Amino acid sequence: MDVRRRYVIPGDTITSGPYRPEQNVTLVGDKKIVSTAVGVSEIYDNTVKVIPLAGKYIPKINDLVVGKVITHTSLSWELDINSCYVGFLPATDVFGRDFSAHADELATKLKTGDLVAARIANFDRTRDPLVTISDRDLGKIDSGELVEIAPGRVPRLIGKRGTMIQTIETATDSIITIGQNGRVVVACDDAEGLLKAKKAIRMVNSMAHSTNLTEKVREMLESGNDAPREAATERREDDKE
Amino acid sequence: MAEAAIIDSLKKARIEELLEQGKRLDGRAFDEFREISIETGAIPKANGSARVKIGDTEVVCGVKIQPDRPFPDSGDKGVFICTAEMLPLSHPSVETGPPGPHVIELARVVDRGIRESHMIDVSQLVIKENKSVVGVFADNVVVDYDGNLFDACSFAATAALLSTKSPKWEFKDDAPALVEGSEADLPVGTIPVSVTMVRIGQHILVDPNADEWQCKDARVTITTNSDGNICAMQKGGHDGFTLEQIKECGKTSARIGAEIRKKFDGISAGSDAEQ
Repeated sequence: MDVRRRYVIPGDTITSGPYRPEQNVTLVGDKKIVSTAVGVSEIYDNTVKVIPLAGKYIPKINDLVVGKVITHTSLSWELDINSCYVGFLPATDVFGRDFSAHADELATKLKTGDLVAARIANFDRTRDPLVTISDRDLGKIDSGELVEIAPGRVPRLIGKRGTMIQTIETATDSIITIGQNGRVVVACDDAEGLLKAKKAIRMVNSMAHSTNLTEKVREMLESGNDAPREAATERREDDKE
Repeated sequence: MAEAAIIDSLKKARIEELLEQGKRLDGRAFDEFREISIETGAIPKANGSARVKIGDTEVVCGVKIQPDRPFPDSGDKGVFICTAEMLPLSHPSVETGPPGPHVIELARVVDRGIRESHMIDVSQLVIKENKSVVGVFADNVVVDYDGNLFDACSFAATAALLSTKSPKWEFKDDAPALVEGSEADLPVGTIPVSVTMVRIGQHILVDPNADEWQCKDARVTITTNSDGNICAMQKGGHDGFTLEQIKECGKTSARIGAEIRKKFDGISAGSDAEQ
């Protein structure tokens, strides 16, 4: 019986069983599955993968990412997507098919430093990833605060079936956008709630390897500071009236 | 170079919003430095050395003393040169290779602050006039970047120079010869302290961190000597200061400089102390 989860370094043999190699592992010979990263190996169903402890974000098609505009040419923007690759956002994506490099000025729509929620449209490691913002819920982010976590911790922040993120969102009355590249935007009307949500996200980032983390985060969120949250709810109700 | 790092628009808006309320993102007062730690003797093989941390900014400085030829126009003075370098590990935007304009400026501002304060009496560093003098080289290396490198490098170089034990040479057979077993402190006259301030809108902030640095309209670095007199000043950024603001910055630099100067008390050659 193979060990289900353990710490591995590159070169460690994880298993020689009949499993399908997934992220950060490689097949050596016919059977041996070997880690290519420092992290925790996981054997689940018939797959083997390694969750890296650290590292930059490697784009995957369809991933939601939060990008920062670095610069633009006359035809496209370049986005910093917290990766070793630069996100490439074509102008036609924003201006539509009748975009004209002569008539349309890219800086009027997105300027250096702007944050955008984008999706990886195409990527094959040989060229920089093509990103798109033409979809529902994508586009420029106008409000909220950016928190950066390690890209490898993103699944932990979301939690199993989204439990972790739901816990944080409900407890703090905030809306959290999580990019797979480790950039998290927290939007919250209440300053207390915002601080708490940020604290919770940082807690997940630093304690990602401890067990029962959702409970610990819930305890932290509920400890003592309920009053400001109630006040915030009241304020919002007043606003409605 | 870290100067090229781009701050996201949300954080910039937040910093500006807080400034309007009289607050800074990290909770400091406008004229408050982050925690400064000065540790000397960081490099055992150097003649003098120091490691300075200002918040998360970290700089290591080493001093090398060696005989040198004097400059042609100043044969009766020793040589003092201060340099600065940024390691790629200090910030994601820093690459290997020759220093960019901002790093060159950093070295020059730090050098000027120390030189113009006359901290080291270079006229005492002559071995043989017009032939051979003592060269003092203070090399700063930025290990971690979180804004305000001017002050971090300046403090590191000052502390390293204070902790320096200089060997002695005599002029023999047309060449400088080392006098074994005789070492002395450098001839130090005053202690220069630089204070860097940025203007964001109408607000002047002392010791900006990396985020505030990215939001600045203008910056000024003012170095004062032990008497509280201004001995060097460098202005940068795309915008300017009003006369009133510059006067205020001058007063602030003298006041804060005097407080910071106390941290250099007790640093002398051979002391491996953390201040």
